[in-house]
Amino acid sequence: MQPTIMEAKPSNLVDQLVVPGDVILDLSNMANQTLKLGGGLRQDGDSICVMKAGKLRFMKPNKYWVESSQKRYVPSAGDNVLGVVVDTKPENFLVDIKGPALAFLPVLSFEGGTRRNIPKFEVGTLLYVRVVSANTGMNPELSCMDANGKAAEYGILKEGYMFESSTGLARALLSSPPHPVLEGLGKKLSFEIAVGINGRFWVNASQSSTVILVGNAIQKSESLSLVQQKIYLEKLLKSIQ
Amino acid sequence: MEHKLANSLIMTVNEKKFIESALLSDIRVDGRRPFDYRNLTIRFGSEDGSAEVQLGQTQVLGFVTGQLSQPYRDRPNEGSFAIYTEFSPMADPSFEPGRPGETAIELGRIVDRGLRESRAVDTESLCVIAGKLVWSIRIDLHIIDNGGNLVDAANIAALAALSTFRRPECTLGGEDGQELIVHPPDEREPLSLILHHFPVAVTFGFIGKENTVVIDPTHYEEAVMGGSMTATLNINGDVCAIQKAGGDAVSQTVIMQCLRIASVKAGDITSKIKDAVESYNTQRSLRKIKRHNPDQQGSSSDVAKRHMERLTVGSDQSGIASQFNEHDKTNKRNSTLKGFSGGPASWDPYSKGVDGDALRISLASRVAPVDKQKEESSQVNPETKSNPKSSETNSIALTREVGLEKKQSKTLKDAVKPKHKRRNKSNAS
Repeated sequence: MQPTIMEAKPSNLVDQLVVPGDVILDLSNMANQTLKLGGGLRQDGDSICVMKAGKLRFMKPNKYWVESSQKRYVPSAGDNVLGVVVDTKPENFLVDIKGPALAFLPVLSFEGGTRRNIPKFEVGTLLYVRVVSANTGMNPELSCMDANGKAAEYGILKEGYMFESSTGLARALLSSPPHPVLEGLGKKLSFEIAVGINGRFWVNASQSSTVILVGNAIQKSESLSLVQQKIYLEKLLKSIQ
Repeated sequence: MEHKLANSLIMTVNEKKFIESALLSDIRVDGRRPFDYRNLTIRFGSEDGSAEVQLGQTQVLGFVTGQLSQPYRDRPNEGSFAIYTEFSPMADPSFEPGRPGETAIELGRIVDRGLRESRAVDTESLCVIAGKLVWSIRIDLHIIDNGGNLVDAANIAALAALSTFRRPECTLGGEDGQELIVHPPDEREPLSLILHHFPVAVTFGFIGKENTVVIDPTHYEEAVMGGSMTATLNINGDVCAIQKAGGDAVSQTVIMQCLRIASVKAGDITSKIKDAVESYNTQRSLRKIKRHNPDQQGSSSDVAKRHMERLTVGSDQSGIASQFNEHDKTNKRNSTLKGFSGGPASWDPYSKGVDGDALRISLASRVAPVDKQKEESSQVNPETKSNPKSSETNSIALTREVGLEKKQSKTLKDAVKPKHKRRNKSNAS
């Protein structure tokens, strides 16, 4: 790959709001460069078009995607999501990941999974899984292993409660530096949390009141500004002491 | 099949367990105690008879319309009302388009029973000609978002919409006195319905092995609960209806406890509805007051009264705006008139003074029967009083102007005159 002048310069729409139809890149004057397109983008001949409204993101060296906050999740490969087992089939578990179609979780895609030891999941089991492939017109495929074949953190989540959120809130919770509300709550309370990029988060703690407090605080924080979040958090933490 | 799986609410085992275990320590997933109601907000639309109720996440739109129709044969002098429900798939993917499902029918019937069995709506006052023509009221309930406890929200929406609905006044007249005249709203103030009391539905859910009682269940709790009971009570604590369809068995003491709690909640909700309706009515009459000429304000409140009666709200804002322009024009032309202060935005100098009258009128129109004679006798007097007054204070130019611009019929004089004429005519006849 030959470095060109164009290559060093990403699209000038990066971190700006884009709407469907916007052209973010013109490929005709880019020489010999590889691009990786994420959700909301499409190659249309010699140009890269936007397909959904949101913020255009760019990651070095060549990844582009559009971020938005919505209730429904559009699966894309590599996402860590929270899924609920809906049905069990001989080859697959059918898992709901809030997408347009149910996802398949092959019974062998567990660490050390063989025909002999197939896990038994009853309907309604909550799983932390990874999306392996997501193509249009096909059910997405999930896996409970990381790329190295290890279980990592994936698998069943016991106890606790699963809260719903928008995909935007889920992304904010996963961001680094950590979400201010999450950080503030973590200083005073001890709890476990698992966030799926598909707009679900699971909270567990020794006391159910803590779970409810954390879950509702996070849900409520979405509609608050940074300053309001700070005030709200201070009030909340005072009230529990 | 897969389609169906994706549409129904999927609850995890964790959630089911958690809701039950948290209830044992008297706390619910949204942070409420078992007997806390969710936040209730009532909004009204631009038209009379529409209300939007928000109960937590749940959102229901109520819309009331009226139509003249033939009465039922066994009740020749009673109007009728019917309830129609609309469960849009937008509210919840489990609602299927097409014919109403089980929940839709049950919801309609609970609301209907509460209103009908307790005789909350005065149907006899809806009669126009006994045996021939009555008003039939149609209540449409649209579920906009399902966050659980649709019954209570829909019931409140129906009550709020009913209490703001106004039907045009009907009288018999014409040559032979048999012709039906439906007075358009700009001619006579439309009448609101007579509601004797507000039957408020309060729903309880029974969750878990211990049958823990929760009030106003969310849709997660609805998915977990073993059974539910809806009690419809009014502010006096009269039980109007109870719905307990199947589900877990509940002991008598629990039901009595539920009814006691329900009567308290019914009182709270009734006062909330009444407050919302009252503020809507005040705003409605304020909108009307804005219509008339500020110069006549000082002359007499009777003038204002009659003026208000004649001019309606006009649901469309454009209508109001255009009339304001006309006001402006007439004012500019009448050089003798003075003291017109500014445009519509800044103008509202006397609103408080006339507000009481407006309220009185809206109350009077609600209570007073359709009695033409009475109306005449009560209103002819102030008119004779106020007419010379206003003509004194205002210049003669105004009257002349009005004569020329009869078609505009927006000024005070214009509003008064035709009625006066007609009254004389009817007196003569």
